[in-house]
Amino acid sequence: MELLNYLGIGFSVALQPENLLYCFIGVFIGTLIGVLPGIGPVGAMSLLLPLTFKTTPEAAIIMLAGIYYGSMYGGSTTSILVNIPGEAASVVTCLDGYQMALQGRAGPALGMAAFGSFIAGTLSIVGLMVLAPPLANFALKFGPPEYFTLMILGLTILIYLAHGSMPKALLMAAFGIVLGLIGLDSINARPRFTFDRLELIDGVGLVPIVMGLFGISEVLLNIEQVIRREIIKTKIKNLLPSSKDWWESKGALARGSLLGFFLGILPGGGAIISSFISYAVEKRVSKHPERFGKGAIEGVAGPEAANNAATGGAFIPLMTLGIPPNVIMAMLLGAFMIHGVQPGPLMMKQNPGLFWGVITSMYIGNGMLLILNLPLIGIWVQVLRIPYRILFPLILLFCLIGVYSVGNTVFDIYIMILFGIVGYLMKKFDYEGAPLVLAFVLGPLMENNLRKSLIMSQGDFSIFFTRPLAAASLILAIFFLVSPLIPWMRKKRKEIPTEETA
Amino acid sequence: MGIGVCYGGYDLELGTLQAPGSGFMFFWVGIIMIGLSLGVLILAMRETAIPGELKKVLWTEIRWKKIVSVLAVLLLYAYVFTTLGFILSTIPLLIFLFKAVEPQSWTKAILGSIISTLTAYSVFQLWLGSQLPRGLLGIG
Repeated sequence: MELLNYLGIGFSVALQPENLLYCFIGVFIGTLIGVLPGIGPVGAMSLLLPLTFKTTPEAAIIMLAGIYYGSMYGGSTTSILVNIPGEAASVVTCLDGYQMALQGRAGPALGMAAFGSFIAGTLSIVGLMVLAPPLANFALKFGPPEYFTLMILGLTILIYLAHGSMPKALLMAAFGIVLGLIGLDSINARPRFTFDRLELIDGVGLVPIVMGLFGISEVLLNIEQVIRREIIKTKIKNLLPSSKDWWESKGALARGSLLGFFLGILPGGGAIISSFISYAVEKRVSKHPERFGKGAIEGVAGPEAANNAATGGAFIPLMTLGIPPNVIMAMLLGAFMIHGVQPGPLMMKQNPGLFWGVITSMYIGNGMLLILNLPLIGIWVQVLRIPYRILFPLILLFCLIGVYSVGNTVFDIYIMILFGIVGYLMKKFDYEGAPLVLAFVLGPLMENNLRKSLIMSQGDFSIFFTRPLAAASLILAIFFLVSPLIPWMRKKRKEIPTEETA
Repeated sequence: MGIGVCYGGYDLELGTLQAPGSGFMFFWVGIIMIGLSLGVLILAMRETAIPGELKKVLWTEIRWKKIVSVLAVLLLYAYVFTTLGFILSTIPLLIFLFKAVEPQSWTKAILGSIISTLTAYSVFQLWLGSQLPRGLLGIG
């Protein structure tokens, strides 16, 4: 009954005309950037963040969340029609989706991707709704030691799941913490690493760093080589999958939704990993695994369900604990903070309109996405035809305007260009940006909770081992850190797909 | 960088374990960075690579001049952005970008730049209320 009351509050917020408009803008831009290669949801969210300064927090978060789950829908279109994933989470959709398109079945592939995304997205919102309240109540018992160790655990899992060398990922996380701590000390207001620059007093902005690492560097990588894209020329027809298609996909949709949701809760690129694991599971349980890679519709339904379900799961740690499990959620945390809202266990009680408004807006957003991605598929196919030589100047222009609009300072443009170069070199030398950004956001929170814990315990580090949850988190974190030294764990880690391998 | 962070942290005051100071976290993260950098260095040195192979993999068939020129123009844009203002600085930037990487005709480049700039100006400045610099034209 209480849940129904909350849903009522949520819908009364989500259905306000302004919030509906921002929800539409979010899912529309999400689909657009999902379709377009060269700019991902992180870049798009940081680009549009300044636009939300004048809106209510509800409208801002509804729009930014819409970009995230909308991009998962759009990513499949390029995978199926061009064999190039718009998003890393849609990489596996290429395997069977493109094959289906070559066989003249682009319509059912696109249809199943959209319906699968809708079903899984909706199921994951139900999961979020059911799981978030008890978890938030439980989190009320957490103190600084629990928060500190949970953040360490989250960061460690992200590093564990990072592609390639773990020391490199750890180094990036350490670099991110240092960047995050620049500015005034939150306890005694002492300037730290500001080099007497007034612009650094408030710290380095999240937006210029993210835009540089994920926007500018991507453009640089794309212009260093000539890109050619071949779009399937066959006419797209019969978007509604047949009953045979549905019958073949039902198991994949259910398994993909469950897998995606629970993997999404874990830190570190849940949408990407869950889509790969879903594909592997479907191939394993199939009576005809030889069909996979040759146009099996389950190979589209499972991963697309999984990557959308993961987006709902990813909201749980952010909304209930205030800890973002991935870079995109870190961006959302930044947006919450800009609007003066602290996500965490108290948010549900202090800001029920925002909490439930965002959740219910996802139902509405998923409905809008179904319309955007089925009857309007033709528009996205046309968007795909825009050549990169026209696209990249516009991406750069939006990055420049977006970054400048945050603080109306040219300093941020310089920071963005600097991190564009850093990001470009990082990609060349196999360093990942995700641990850096997550550590950048978590760094100040970690420092704060570490210092509070030590003050509480009068300098006794055993506080992290005598409280059960803190101890469990630390032991798990240590396990993930040393696991590459164990041969079978090292082998398992290498098998995990990541954005970089995509 | 780790050494610099470590020194900076030490300089900021480490405090005590009972009351950690402003430099406490910097200092220890700096130590971790130094350790990790050494680790990465040792791992890289242990890897057997064919001489020149890395250079070949990373940098061959790369349109170097394009990247450098785009970066240089972006820096120049940032430098003149507030003085010239949004419109006067953005139109030449876009003309360059449209022409630089995959050359297009002058007409397309100029028209595309003017349309894109004015559209962006209308959306961001007029509709969304961003405060883009007025510059020489004094528009804003």
